[in-house]
Amino acid sequence: MDTSAYLSGLKYLVPEIYLLAVAAVSMFVHLFAKKRGARRAGYVVLAGLIAGVAVLFLSPLSPGEIYSGSLSVDSFALYFKAIFLLSGILTLVLAFRFFGVEKFEAGEMYYLIPFILIGMTAAVSSIDLITAYVAFELFAIPSYVLAGIFKKEQRSAEAGIKYFFLGTLSSGVMLLGMALVFGLTGETNFAAIGKALAGPNDHIALIGMILFFVGLFFKAALAPFHMWAPDVYEGAPTPLVVFLSTAPKAAVFAMLIRLVLTVFPKFEVQWTYIFQIVALITMFWGNIAALGQTNLKRMMAYSSIAHAGYLAIGLAAWGQLAHTAVLFYLVMYLFMNAAAFGLILLVRKSAGFGEEVADLGGLARSSPLAAGCLLVVLLALTGIPPTAGFMGKYFIFAAAVEKGLYWLSAAGALNSVISLFYYFRIGRAIYMEEPRPGIRFEPSVPVLAVLVAAAAVLLVFGIFPSLLTPLAAALTLIK
Amino acid sequence: MFLATLSSWSAVKDRLKEYYLFLLLLEVGMIGVFLSLDLVLFYVFWEIVLVPMYFLIGIWGGERKFYAAIKFFLYTLFGSVMMLIGILVLYFHYHTFDVTAMVEAGNTLPLALQGWVFFAFFLGFAIKMPLFPFHTWLPDAHVEAPTAGSVILAGVLLKMGTYGFIRFSLPLFPEASRKYVPLVVVLALVSIVYGALVSLMQKDMKKLIAYSSVSHMGFVMLGLFTFSPMAVKGAVLQMINHGISTGALFLIVGIIYERRHTRLIAEFGGLSSRMPVYAAVFLIVSMSSIGLPGLNGFIGEFMIIMGTWQVNWVWAAVAATGIVLGAGYMLWLYQRVMFGKLENQANQSLKDLTLREFATFFPLVVLVFWIGIFPKSFLNVLDKPVEKVIRIVNPEYYKDAEAALPRPAVAPAAAPTAAETTKPKAEAR
Repeated sequence: MDTSAYLSGLKYLVPEIYLLAVAAVSMFVHLFAKKRGARRAGYVVLAGLIAGVAVLFLSPLSPGEIYSGSLSVDSFALYFKAIFLLSGILTLVLAFRFFGVEKFEAGEMYYLIPFILIGMTAAVSSIDLITAYVAFELFAIPSYVLAGIFKKEQRSAEAGIKYFFLGTLSSGVMLLGMALVFGLTGETNFAAIGKALAGPNDHIALIGMILFFVGLFFKAALAPFHMWAPDVYEGAPTPLVVFLSTAPKAAVFAMLIRLVLTVFPKFEVQWTYIFQIVALITMFWGNIAALGQTNLKRMMAYSSIAHAGYLAIGLAAWGQLAHTAVLFYLVMYLFMNAAAFGLILLVRKSAGFGEEVADLGGLARSSPLAAGCLLVVLLALTGIPPTAGFMGKYFIFAAAVEKGLYWLSAAGALNSVISLFYYFRIGRAIYMEEPRPGIRFEPSVPVLAVLVAAAAVLLVFGIFPSLLTPLAAALTLIK
Repeated sequence: MFLATLSSWSAVKDRLKEYYLFLLLLEVGMIGVFLSLDLVLFYVFWEIVLVPMYFLIGIWGGERKFYAAIKFFLYTLFGSVMMLIGILVLYFHYHTFDVTAMVEAGNTLPLALQGWVFFAFFLGFAIKMPLFPFHTWLPDAHVEAPTAGSVILAGVLLKMGTYGFIRFSLPLFPEASRKYVPLVVVLALVSIVYGALVSLMQKDMKKLIAYSSVSHMGFVMLGLFTFSPMAVKGAVLQMINHGISTGALFLIVGIIYERRHTRLIAEFGGLSSRMPVYAAVFLIVSMSSIGLPGLNGFIGEFMIIMGTWQVNWVWAAVAATGIVLGAGYMLWLYQRVMFGKLENQANQSLKDLTLREFATFFPLVVLVFWIGIFPKSFLNVLDKPVEKVIRIVNPEYYKDAEAALPRPAVAPAAAPTAAETTKPKAEAR
């Protein structure tokens, strides 16, 4: 590749370069600010991410593959990049409150977020094994640090170590899968591999695909590779869990979609079965395990596993409708999760308070606005109309029914019922129980703003899903 | 609905704003359910009803309110999500959510699939009704709910189930409906007799009335699935009747509960001497519930049993025992509460109905007599729609009826012209 092609390709990488700049500026602010450097670094990142949304939409789409077929900056990738930025923004808004209460603030946690975002934005554009792996690791490794960043708390350290060991192991397995696929075909470009694999059936390639999936399933907390999630989510600082439980999941689903459509179209029968089984196990495991939890963070961890399971139904029933459904659901899931973890921060006064369901007793009396928003969020998580959670599930189940997977959609529907029980354990605490003695709730304003925004989004898109669905449906550049 | 609000005037004292907010939300859902012809919209409203009801039971309920509220929510949500899958299957078959369009497209669903979809809808509706063996949420929900909640539950929510059967199940899955008649009828008969027997031995007034609901809804179900026009009309009328009489009974219990804070039958006795007006209203309503000729309950139950008899006399006979048992538990309840000596000191100072309470009952009592004495004004409205449903689900009936002379007087008189049958179905409720 000559230099001019290299330079002309750079304009497609504007969002990544921009995020790098944000991270760098924030780092310097942290180092050189006279006081409260960490917090200021955080403000820089937040402002940077908000402006980043504009940068994202102004940056051009690549005409096709760029950099010798390693990246494709298409509108599909753009959609996901917007999700990541949103997730980052919501996380930061929630984080200020959290670290204020905890009296502990590390600048790293703010500027690691743009680094992770670079990894994810690159991952969803990558159409090459090497680029995909590098991007994957780029967002994986800082997230291990984020999980363990809360050094004074043992749980956080445990979460970091656990996430790190299991994460690197699964990355290794994924790399082995890539190696097998590369060894068979001698290609690294996705489409080229797809073409090379189109020959007679090959079991090694199938094994390669499965190993490849294992790494991704791990990152998305899909059963049976979800074991790390409850511990990590419980131990990691709460606002970062908002990030860790939404953005990487969206990135992995984007990568999975690209992979199955370009690299492994040949194994459609096989991966359809894999996703069916994974969806089934994940939903039931997540929901049933959540039933017994009294700790909100663990409960929401299992709930997020269950939601990954619903998304996997979409992959199992892949088609135009499922495509729309998954893209729609991922956005709504981001808002649901941000609000659900925001709930924990909302009432936080001292370290640890607000993490038990019973801590929320009587919230509706002192803060009806927060309670009303939370009710909408809980309905959305359960999948009850008129919220966007219902529309998301509805599209996914519809996709499954369209493909004749009646049993899978019935299982998904059954899981909504199971999940109702534990979500409304929260609803019951908020509306029906008495506050703990001596507790007066003073909801923090930024957290409340996130809740109101989330509830508004969930209601608006629940009643008018067509505001987003045509956009999501139009993004099928890759078939 | 309006009456329910009146009844909570003094019963609900705390968190008023939220209480009426939930009542209004409930109203939104209920009106929506009965007006929707689009299946997704129907489903959306159907679910919306659950949420405020959950909170009404959970916040203003009795001692075991958490248990009752979540049980209600889980049961009905389970039924409705299965219905959602059924709706989706229908959509991918007909490519529309419009029920009238589906019916006009004719019944093209293959029988095996139709059976599954029928069962998906059946679960949704039967749990809501509730039909034995899906009834266990009902007594809990009724007992723990505040009076207004019970009234709405009995008066409207249960009707959503039977309405669903007559509106969606029968016209959309005629073959499957015919195929599963024995199963449904057996369940309906079990509901009738079992509900009545369990009512007999209840110590709590509200629980007694709740089980009597199971029994009455069994009648409705029996009437619907005989596919004879008379029984179906009876069933629809019985839905209205049950709403009136059971709603009124819950109001009655609510009034006494408000004064004494207990619903145990053993706590009362001889109230008629202290509360004569109350006693009179209670008498009228319980007679209507039993089905005394001249009152509304009689018309519905009589038509159902008549219609059933034409199809199968054994079913009718079993159903009739339900009426006998019904008279047993209602009269016994009345006797224990109203007659005898006024022994419990706490009951000495009970006040009779206030004007507001009387105003709550007045329209109900008027309706009880109106339907009982002149049911034709209601039945006329029902003729056409019922006939249309029957033509879809049981075309044999009209062939037989037109062949056999003289026709039964109550059956729709003239054979309708082709133009009439294609008319959109009039709103029955």
